Amino acid sequence: MPQLNPEFFVSQLFWLAVFFTFLFVFLWRVSLPRIATVLEKRQNKIDENLSSAKELQEQAMEIEKKINDQINKAKLETDEKIKETINALQENVSSQLSSLDKDLEKKVSDAEKEILKSKDDQMKNINNEIVDITKLTVGKITDIEMSDNELNKVIETHKGNFN
Amino acid sequence: MAAKDSPLKQFEIDPISNIELGGYNISFTNSSFAMLITVLVITLFLTLTVNTRSIIPSRMQLISELMYNFIAQLLSDTVGDNGKRYFPFVFSLFMFVLIGNMVGMIPYQFTFTSHIIVTFALAAVVFIGVTILGFINHGIKFFTFFYIPGVPFYMHPLLIPIEVISYLSRPISLSVRLFANMLAGHTLLKVFAGFVVSMPFFTGVFPLAFIVALTGLEILIAFLQAYVFAILTCLYINDAYHLH
Repeated sequence: MPQLNPEFFVSQLFWLAVFFTFLFVFLWRVSLPRIATVLEKRQNKIDENLSSAKELQEQAMEIEKKINDQINKAKLETDEKIKETINALQENVSSQLSSLDKDLEKKVSDAEKEILKSKDDQMKNINNEIVDITKLTVGKITDIEMSDNELNKVIETHKGNFN
Repeated sequence: MAAKDSPLKQFEIDPISNIELGGYNISFTNSSFAMLITVLVITLFLTLTVNTRSIIPSRMQLISELMYNFIAQLLSDTVGDNGKRYFPFVFSLFMFVLIGNMVGMIPYQFTFTSHIIVTFALAAVVFIGVTILGFINHGIKFFTFFYIPGVPFYMHPLLIPIEVISYLSRPISLSVRLFANMLAGHTLLKVFAGFVVSMPFFTGVFPLAFIVALTGLEILIAFLQAYVFAILTCLYINDAYHLH
């Protein structure tokens, strides 16, 4: 078996020592730090991105909160304004209604007064007519000349029976 | 010397240039050449693929990073935070064995991990390093490593020698495991390759198909043995920190 032939043992060991030492030192000093830097850089980048993403999320949440606040505020303001307007309109309407009521009442009372007055007038006229007719009738039938005062008195006493 | 067609012929060492230093033969051989290629592949790959240092890695850079994370994870799982200091060593060991095995899978290429002297040297470095580490961390108390707590006292005369022997056989088991796996796999491939040629008519395709399947298995074993070598090194380092 060539493996057990000691002829090249020293040579094998010598070159193994040379090459393995070179490999070890090279990897230790050059290659591995390089890979380590890359991995570290990547990890840093990932951490950075994660933290900035977190920050942005927080900012977004803040903005959302602000928007919600503003919406709420605007809602409240609108509600207030709507209420105010409704109140103002209601006041306006009620004042106008009351003034209309007053007008109407006045008009109604005026009309009532006029009606009463015209009724009175009419009644007076009717009375006069009644007196006249009665005078004429009595005069024609009986030839009795009655004074207006007398007729009035008679009519007054019988007035209740007419109605 | 093996015979011309022996399956063991592939393990023979041929000097490429004869060098002598202080009376020792340190010729640059095909084994040294395989080591050189291995080291070149590892250093060039790990350097060039990470050259751009891009945050979003290319596929090749991703391979380097995966290897880095694979061994880093292995160390932190077995040793914990103490293990970070030994990361370059364990990583070098893993890559050297892994790529050494893989280079050996190239036809006509020499497999230096199939030589017991090479694997034993690597295992001895691990063993001596871990033992020194144990004494640095625990001083003379490191010997309590061989004392198993919670065992009846009369068992200790039996158990302590067993523990000592098992500790001392660590470098042997570590090196022989890798060496034997490589030796057996490559010998088997060579034997079946011989069948392809020597079998009559077209029946040679059967051993050929077997070789194809076996090559896949050998690549798996190449990775697996490098992994085993690395994880056992991690476990030994862990033992040097945590006695029972």
